[in-house]
Amino acid sequence: MAQNGSADASINASSSSLPTVVGINYGNSYASIAVVSKEGLADCIANEDGERQIASAISFHGEETYIGAGAKHQLVKNAENTIIGFRNLLGRKFSEIPKDRPLVSAPVIQHPENQDEPAYKVTILQPAPKPLPTPSVTSSANTPLASKLGTPRSEPTQVERYLTVSEVNTIFIKSLIQSAEDFLGKKVEGVVIAVPSWFEEVQREALIKAAEDAGVKVLQLIDDIAAAALQSITTPASSDVKEDRTQLVIDLGSSSLSLAILSIRQGLIYPLASSSDPAIGADLIDDKLIKFFAKDFTKKTKIPLSLPVTTSSSAADKRAEAKLRLAIEHTKRTISASPGAATCSVESLKDGYDLSGTINRMRFDMEAREVYTKIAESAKNLVADAGLDLYDIDEIVYAGGTGCLPGLDQTVLDVGFNETVITPFSTGAAVGGGASDPTTILAKGAVVQAKLLAEIAGDQDLLPAFETATDHTKVKATSRTLGLIFPEEATEESSLGGQWIPVILKETALPARRICAFDVDLGKNNSGKVGFEVWEVKESIKVELVKGPPPEGGDEDEEEEPEENEEKEKLIEKDGAALTSIIVPINNGKKEKGRWKTKVSVQLVADEGGKVEITAWEVDGGEKVHKIIQT
Amino acid sequence: MATIHLPIVPPPLPQNWSAPPDSGKSISPLVERKLFPVGPAYLAHVRRKVHDLTFEAHDKHEEERNRGGSSSDEIIDDLGVGDEEEDEVLLSLDPKEWKKQDHYAVLGLSHLRYKATNDQIKIAHRKKVLKHHPDKKATIAGETNDDAFFKCIQKAMDVLTNPERRRQFDSVDPYYLSLEEDDPTAAQMKGKDSNAFFKAFGPVFEREARFSKVKPVPLLGSVDAPKEEVEGFYNFWYNFDSWRSFEYLDKEINEGSDNRDDKRYTEKKNKTERARRKREDIARLRGIVDTCLGLDPRIKRIKQEEKEARDAKKRGKAGTPQSQKAKEEEEKKRAEEEAKKKEEEEKVAREQAKKDKAAAANAAKKARRAARAAADQ
Repeated sequence: MAQNGSADASINASSSSLPTVVGINYGNSYASIAVVSKEGLADCIANEDGERQIASAISFHGEETYIGAGAKHQLVKNAENTIIGFRNLLGRKFSEIPKDRPLVSAPVIQHPENQDEPAYKVTILQPAPKPLPTPSVTSSANTPLASKLGTPRSEPTQVERYLTVSEVNTIFIKSLIQSAEDFLGKKVEGVVIAVPSWFEEVQREALIKAAEDAGVKVLQLIDDIAAAALQSITTPASSDVKEDRTQLVIDLGSSSLSLAILSIRQGLIYPLASSSDPAIGADLIDDKLIKFFAKDFTKKTKIPLSLPVTTSSSAADKRAEAKLRLAIEHTKRTISASPGAATCSVESLKDGYDLSGTINRMRFDMEAREVYTKIAESAKNLVADAGLDLYDIDEIVYAGGTGCLPGLDQTVLDVGFNETVITPFSTGAAVGGGASDPTTILAKGAVVQAKLLAEIAGDQDLLPAFETATDHTKVKATSRTLGLIFPEEATEESSLGGQWIPVILKETALPARRICAFDVDLGKNNSGKVGFEVWEVKESIKVELVKGPPPEGGDEDEEEEPEENEEKEKLIEKDGAALTSIIVPINNGKKEKGRWKTKVSVQLVADEGGKVEITAWEVDGGEKVHKIIQT
Repeated sequence: MATIHLPIVPPPLPQNWSAPPDSGKSISPLVERKLFPVGPAYLAHVRRKVHDLTFEAHDKHEEERNRGGSSSDEIIDDLGVGDEEEDEVLLSLDPKEWKKQDHYAVLGLSHLRYKATNDQIKIAHRKKVLKHHPDKKATIAGETNDDAFFKCIQKAMDVLTNPERRRQFDSVDPYYLSLEEDDPTAAQMKGKDSNAFFKAFGPVFEREARFSKVKPVPLLGSVDAPKEEVEGFYNFWYNFDSWRSFEYLDKEINEGSDNRDDKRYTEKKNKTERARRKREDIARLRGIVDTCLGLDPRIKRIKQEEKEARDAKKRGKAGTPQSQKAKEEEEKKRAEEEAKKKEEEEKVAREQAKKDKAAAANAAKKARRAARAAADQ
């Protein structure tokens, strides 16, 4: 019995024997790290500064190098030596980089030596070389006695250094790995990095190179979307989540928006449609907020402050924006976490005046509405592009810190998703490190994948399937839902003529197997058999316009039309003829409350070519009945 | 892959329903998709594809893999002890009478007894304590005596974890003492076959073997054991070196008493008592071995075998190896005998002839006498 245990603390031998792996969500603005916890679950960890969201920023100040939140603070006073947004430049040529953005950090310049390579110029203090140690043997020559003290180091010299984008990324990845190693106390042997799906092949290669330079083996680069979906599969937001579902992933980074509609069929994921829009990002929300607080500031202090800055803005304004950007980070988190008002205070925002403002959720949502709507519209368009209806979406998963904003979820849902759609907010898993916390979901998904790869490490048959150029990802999928119809005597309006049980949903990757078991009513007299037909069906969404109740208490003069509400219903229609039918003999029926009942299992195995093998049997050792639908 | 249990109950088949024939149609044309190479399901998918497995074969592989993984994780930590149920008698033990209690039974180790290892005792004790700790019983009912069994457990633990005290207790383990009383006697075994003998004596020696200082101990063995083994067995048991001692049955020395003589008296008495018991025990064991030896079917067999061997040896001296000589001798003998016979016969014949001659002479004499007499007349 385990309750007594042995005297020694039980160390899970199986997990310790596996290589130590971590997952990294490598964002352009923020990165996060996840590790496998002692319980074998994915866990997002904080770096030395206690930050789970580690700002992708590096700053050089004197002899010090700051990484993360510390570096972001340097943006205020030491902007020219602070580097941000370096991930997106990976693998890019200097000539490809747009240069029209207003700059708040170290500018990207042409590398002085390497042709067409982007680089950053930073000024650092290089420590002077260590002086030679004092000779222990005093010279025999008759010279004055040398001082016993060592020669003091001379002052560090100021030098200019050129850092290539790859070098900057290497420094940053190294610091992330260092944080993970400090946390785990073990050397990290492999890493899975989540990158945006729009990352090009060159960029991926550049990232892998940067990581290898940092001294860590990249097991796989996975798409953000895939990481989010994987985490949602391994730790479902709630028990209501079905194994076969259509999922909408909204990955809202600070500088880009990626959307994808995924077909998840018993853990196999493939995208039905995806889109990305670099124009929409959480930065837009930041801009709105900054504008709001700048106005607030001007109103209170009568000091002109027009934010966000343009290229022609004054240095004071630029500094004010940098300060404000840091401050609203906190404001946004407060808004996400609590329904009350959030404060934003900045000391000496401009001309020595402090900013101390508050914003409540409603006001915030109002400011951000425009961005929310853009996102919701993109989602709606994507669903339409995929040839689906909003009602077909079973689950929405958010990734990225902005996904924590309840206002966003509300706006997205208002576009017309089904009420039963599962979002992290409907299940309460969005905040407080829940399973589908948008801030950590990507890193967690990455580490789940890393763990999987660690388990098959050394298996040369399987590992190639996880490389970029693999044929294993190409699959055939069904285009119609395959299911069973149990004929029924008196069917009212149902056009199916019986009880419909969908088994292999449309968009299921093949080969696939589904086994379902259910109780069957045999009627008052045991008929001794269960029969059903196998059908493929057409699915559609029926839209009915229902006139809503007239607005109550409205003014009599305003002859308003009562609102028309769309009511949607999933419609299933038979198409053509039954594929086949099966009769299962029943021997072990049990009588319950005057009716005979038994349990029946049906297994459908569809092979790669589309041949379907149907096996049905009574659960208590009944005879198995086979049928095959040929291709 | 798990079976999905649906909460749907399909209705009974309508009377007029007949299974529609296969339409021969296949499922709708398939579409090409590109999977995300992530997740355990993808791994399983690849595994099936790479190793060309069916779903069933893959299931089997997975099962094996899981078993392989779990078996190494699983540590048998309770060593199979501590789950014995206590009966009423056991639970109502008085901790003051701890000397009389069966410590093994108290800890739930009565199936192991002297074989229980220290680890097993520790675990069994922990389990019993968890179950019978007074803190746990405080909520149940306000019986004043309800830590009695807990005290018994602690006492049992004290005895069994101290090797010296455990040895003393093992020496007089009440369970085996009761078994000793039922040892088979010669009278009981009379007229029983060899099977019954081994059945009766086998366990006795197994039981007694635990007292041996010398290990391993030869056990009774089987009916067809060779002579050396049987002899070795009896040799060992006649020279049995036992660690059994009887301190456990000592009378308590009255600690409170300051009378030194009293103490000494009790001590002396205990000592003699111990010595007496030890003597008795040696005698008892000797008695058992004697009875066993007397009844052992193998001894008869061995004696028989020995006798046969002796006879064979004896016969062997005059027998086969010198047959040629013997034959010659025999023939000689026979020839001699025949010669003798002939001689005798001849002798007889000669005697006969002699007799005949004598008779003839006699008759002639008679005739002459008669003729003379006739002439005289």
